[in-house]
Amino acid sequence: MIYGDKNLGVIVQNITGRQGTFHTELMNAYAHEVGGRGVVAGVAPGKAGREVHGVPVYNTVKDALAEHDATASVVFVPAGAAGDAVMEAAHAGIELAVVITEHIPVHDAMKAIAYAKLHDCTVIGPNCPGLLSPGECKLGIMPAHLATRGEVGVVSRSGTLTYEVVDELTRAGIGQSTVVGIGGDPVIGQTFVDALARFEDDPQTKAVVVIGEVGGNLEEEGVRSTDLPVVTYIAGVSAPPEKRMGHAGAIIEGGEGDARSKVRRLRGLDIPVASRPSEIPGLIREVL
Amino acid sequence: MKLLEYEAKRVFAEYGIPVPNGVVIRAPEEVAAHLPDLGDGLVLKAQVDVGGRGKAGGVLMADRTTAAGTARELFSREIKGIPVREILAEERLPIEHEYYVSIAIDRSSRQPVVLFADAGGVEIENMASADESAVRRVIVSPLLKDIPPFLMRELLGGAPKELAPVINNLYHVFQGKDAMLAEINPLVTTARGVYAADAKLIVDDNALARQGVTVNRDLSEREREAEKHGFSYVELDGSIGVIGNGAGLTMSTLDLIEFYHGRAANFLDVGGGAEQERVMHAVKLVASMPGVNVIVVNLLGGITRCDEVAKGIIAAGVAPTIIVRMAGTNEEEGQRLLAECGYRMLESMDAAVKAAMEVSE
Repeated sequence: MIYGDKNLGVIVQNITGRQGTFHTELMNAYAHEVGGRGVVAGVAPGKAGREVHGVPVYNTVKDALAEHDATASVVFVPAGAAGDAVMEAAHAGIELAVVITEHIPVHDAMKAIAYAKLHDCTVIGPNCPGLLSPGECKLGIMPAHLATRGEVGVVSRSGTLTYEVVDELTRAGIGQSTVVGIGGDPVIGQTFVDALARFEDDPQTKAVVVIGEVGGNLEEEGVRSTDLPVVTYIAGVSAPPEKRMGHAGAIIEGGEGDARSKVRRLRGLDIPVASRPSEIPGLIREVL
Repeated sequence: MKLLEYEAKRVFAEYGIPVPNGVVIRAPEEVAAHLPDLGDGLVLKAQVDVGGRGKAGGVLMADRTTAAGTARELFSREIKGIPVREILAEERLPIEHEYYVSIAIDRSSRQPVVLFADAGGVEIENMASADESAVRRVIVSPLLKDIPPFLMRELLGGAPKELAPVINNLYHVFQGKDAMLAEINPLVTTARGVYAADAKLIVDDNALARQGVTVNRDLSEREREAEKHGFSYVELDGSIGVIGNGAGLTMSTLDLIEFYHGRAANFLDVGGGAEQERVMHAVKLVASMPGVNVIVVNLLGGITRCDEVAKGIIAAGVAPTIIVRMAGTNEEEGQRLLAECGYRMLESMDAAVKAAMEVSE
C-alpha cells in the first residue's frame, strides 16, 4: 500500500459539517474492521470540546496535534476556506492532507499546494474521493465494500468511475493494493507521476490501472515516468471541445487535452488502453 | 468565464496597463460623437467571443470619414455565426513592434506559467509549432506577488526593458482577478510607449462569486437552470439522454454510447448522495430536451440510496423510456419500486447502454 497503513493517525478538518460527520463515522467503522487507528481528532473553529461519533473536536489543527498523535488530515472544509485549511494543516506539521472539497478557486489551490510543499506536506486532491488501501486504511469517501486487497494499484482523476473500475476488478477476482483518487481539478497536489512513483516503491503493487480523462496531459507524463506495468482508461472520447465536463479540469482547451489524442499517444507508447471500463480486468491479467 | 475584449481592457487599465483610447458602440451612428477622441485612423473590432476574429472579418480599419459606414458594415456581419451587437472603436496605434505575452496555469508544475514571444499578432499555437525557440516560458511561484527580476530578464531576452512593468501588471491581473488565462496579443511598442492592443481574460468559474460575477454568460439557459440544482450539465446533439453521478462515470457513459454507435443528447452529473427531489429535477430537465426518446440513468456509489433514486424517477413521470443502472444501498427495494411501475433496471452500464440503444433505434 502507499501513503500510509493501519497505524496512520488521522484528523478530520470541518468534522462538524454534514459530510465531515458522516464520513468520520464511515472511516472509523472501516478502521475498526481492519484494526487501524482511524480518525483520532477533529477540527472545527469555535467548536472545541464537542464530540463527533466519539471523536474529540478542537478549534485548530495545532490544538488537535498537541493532544493526539496524527500525521494525516482529511479536509471537508467549504471551498472558500479550504486552501487556508490546507496551509493550517501543513503549518501545524500534518504530513498528508487529503482534500475532498470541490469548487476550490484554482489560485487558492496553487497557493495551498506550494505552501504545503515548503512544509513537506503531501497534498492529495482537491476535488477527490481520497484513498483506500484495502485491509489497511481509508481516508476520504470511497465506498469500502467494493474493494478487496490485492496487487493492483488504481490511480484516477475521478470518483464514481474509480468505484466502477474497482467493482469490475473485484468481481474479476483482482484485488487492489491502494486505490487513490487524485482529483478532477486543473491543479492537484499529487499527480499521476507522484502516485506512480509511490506505487513503484511499494512491494505489494505489481501493476497499476491509470484512469484519466479529457484535459491536460498528466496521464501521458505519468505513464512515461514509471517502469511498472500499466493499463489505462481515458474518459471523455465523446466530449466536445471547450466544454467543462463536470470536473473543473475536464476541458479540451485550445485543441489540447482531448481524449482521442491521449489514447493515440498512449497506444504509441505500447500502453494498453481500455475502450470501456469492463475491458480493464482482462487487460490487467495480460500484464500481471 | 471569458470576458469580452473591452471588459478585459477595462480591467487591464485598472491595473495600470496602457490600452488604446476606445469606446464601445451599439449602433453605427454612435461613433460620430467620439471621433474627436479617437484620432484620424480607427480600428473597429467586433466584440464577439470567437478565436481568429481578425481572419473571420471581425476587425476593420477606418478613418474619420468612413467610420460610420464601416461600423454599419461590421454590425451587419456575423463572425463565425455570431451576430455583432457591440463594436469597440479604437484609435489606431502607430505600432513599432508587436510582442506576445500570456499567463496561464501550468498543470504539470501546479504554478503560473508566463509565455513571451518576440513576434505578436499571430496565434501562439502556430508560432510554437513553427519555431519552439521563438516562445520563452518561465514558471512563477504562486506565493510571490511579483515576477522576480531574474525571471523577467529570462523571459524578455533581448526585448525592450520597458515591457517589464506591463508584464508584471498583467501578473497582478492574473492573481487579482482569479484568472485561468490573461493574454495580450499583440503587446505593442510605439513612440508613445507600450500598449495592450488586444486583451483576453478568462476568470476561474469557481471564483466568480468573489469576483462579483452573478451570471456565468458562458452557460446556456438550460445549463444555468441545471447549475441552480447543483448539476453539471452540457448539451450535446444526440437523442439518448444521460444522467449519472460523478463526472468520470457520466463521461464514461457517454463514451459507451458512442462505442455502441449511438449519440448522447447531454451530459448530466447529479452529484453525490442524490435524493428523490434532485433525481426528479434531473429526469425532468433531460426529458425536456427536444428529440430525447430514451434516458440512461447510471448511478454508482456507497451512499446513493436506490429507493430514493427510484422514487425520483417515478415522481418525474416523463414520456421518454428510462433505463436504470444503479448500485448502492437498498438496491432490491429500488428495483422493486421501478418494476412495479414498469421501468427497467439493469446490472451493468454496458447492458444499460445497449438497452437504451435498442429503444433509440
